[in-house]
Amino acid sequence: MAALGARRLLRPGRRWFSETVPAAPSPPAGPLYPPVVASVTAKSKAAKSRRLQRFNQRVHAAATVEEKLRLYGKLQRPKYAVYPQTFALNADRWYRSFTKTVLVPGMPPRAAAAKAPVAAAGTTPEAGGAPEPGAEAPGAAEAPEAAKAPEPAAGAAAYLDMGELRSIVCDALLQESFYQKKKRPFLYRDQDHTPGPFLTQLVSTLAAFLSGRNPLLAASSLDLNPEVNYYWHHGEEVVVHGHRKGRVDPVRFQIDDNPHLQIRVPKQLPEVVPLESDLGDVPVIDHKPSKLPLFKRQYENKVFIGSKVADPCCYGHTQFHLLPDKLKRERFIRERLEDQIEVVYRSNGIASLFAWTAAQAMYQGFWSEADVTRPFVSQAVVTDGKYFAFFCYQLNTLALTAETIKNNPRKNICWGTDSKPLYDVVEDGNVKGFNDEVLLQLVRFLLNRPTEL
Amino acid sequence: RLRIFRPNFFMLAVRPGVPQPEDTVQFRVSMEMTKLDIRNYLERIYNVPVAAVRTRIQYGANNKRNHRNQRVKKPDYKVAYVQLGQGQTFQFPNLFPEKEQDSETRSFDDFRDKYMEKEKQKQEGDPRRGGVPDWFGL
Repeated sequence: MAALGARRLLRPGRRWFSETVPAAPSPPAGPLYPPVVASVTAKSKAAKSRRLQRFNQRVHAAATVEEKLRLYGKLQRPKYAVYPQTFALNADRWYRSFTKTVLVPGMPPRAAAAKAPVAAAGTTPEAGGAPEPGAEAPGAAEAPEAAKAPEPAAGAAAYLDMGELRSIVCDALLQESFYQKKKRPFLYRDQDHTPGPFLTQLVSTLAAFLSGRNPLLAASSLDLNPEVNYYWHHGEEVVVHGHRKGRVDPVRFQIDDNPHLQIRVPKQLPEVVPLESDLGDVPVIDHKPSKLPLFKRQYENKVFIGSKVADPCCYGHTQFHLLPDKLKRERFIRERLEDQIEVVYRSNGIASLFAWTAAQAMYQGFWSEADVTRPFVSQAVVTDGKYFAFFCYQLNTLALTAETIKNNPRKNICWGTDSKPLYDVVEDGNVKGFNDEVLLQLVRFLLNRPTEL
Repeated sequence: RLRIFRPNFFMLAVRPGVPQPEDTVQFRVSMEMTKLDIRNYLERIYNVPVAAVRTRIQYGANNKRNHRNQRVKKPDYKVAYVQLGQGQTFQFPNLFPEKEQDSETRSFDDFRDKYMEKEKQKQEGDPRRGGVPDWFGL
């Protein structure tokens, strides 16, 4: 009994009259209390920033690119639908401000130096002695200065026969517009009637002809009427109307583009200028995008380059755009808006190429919080059947959201030419006034390839 | 094509409620005018180069009630946003600018303000009483 009572008094763990020295409490392994952070569900700015950080961490931690894209475009809200082919006035200035792009007139310097020695069948070799800015020389080891001598130097790559190229182009043109008997085009379907098939035929024949010279083209994939989509945030605005009135929201944009043709390659085109170069200024427009006019819609946030993520040809080479009947030159001249003709070409080039290069970067796992580590380069040709304008785009940054754009000095760069006619008129089975420079530029575009190849 | 001579339309240039781009002018026009009408009106009568015209109809609300509890409708009107051509810009002028005051009016205004302040002080009563009225006393 006494032993039981004593045992009850002596509770386990109490050192009562014991001689053992209580050992010092072991230091805790980590901090005693959980970290003091803002709440997740409160209606406060700190809570909103914490929710954004959690979302960013989720996207960073996504295992595959498909999962990243799915999380990136999961939340649907009203967004501005940006159309690359638009009749809006001065659209290219607005598009440059949306995409943080600098427009440099003319072609990038590497294209000025002769890429492959061209047979001087009436064409002067251009800039034969121009110093190469360290960019690519044609794969087969021959100096571009050899263009001075029109005869091919002893080299593996034969010279480009301008006459043959010209005959290919003229064949395609005549076949579509002269030899083939077609009915009258339907109303406002002029572009699908003749220039569309001509462009397809031209590109596929030229690509097949030049694939012997450019092994990248041999491994490329030509898409007919593909779809290119990109979704991004840029800037902030206050919601004016609705149950979310008064909240600060990012301004959302989506480009849905259908180029006429597209060439995708398995290897990235080389960079034109270094990643951090600054070649000009980005226009800053204070007004809301709806003044352009641009309209909001809510639908799926899609990021697509023309093929799914698993496709090996995941980098872009060249796009070909055909301008619709609504934007033909005669209409602008009739309404005395001659300066808007070039704006149409430029806005199409900038918007489409930005969407394509940014989607390519997203396919590689980069996004606005994880900016690109190497520049993405693509090319485009915008045409309305007769006039051709060439564009080259280098994507240096994807970080266009309100927080990421603050300390980001990088800008995207777009080189673009004015539109030049390829020929003057087609009569009686002859193509009059053929322009060789345009063809040369087109061929240079198609021959563009990375240095190692 | 319908040809109108000596039209009876009126266009009223208004100050935009939200900031518009520099080349955009905002008008209130008659409900029957079309975009083509607006373009021709400005180009033929006023020689203003017009690049683009966009219109919308503003519905006037019908919620206010008069002394007989009948609903009073505010009239509907059409708003036209005209983008000028040839790179021209337009800024709605300030119709009520601040006028330069000479020294006489300024001193008169100061005197008047001081007098009104003194009157108000007299009305309020002694601040040392802490808001208690004058008639309250032991």
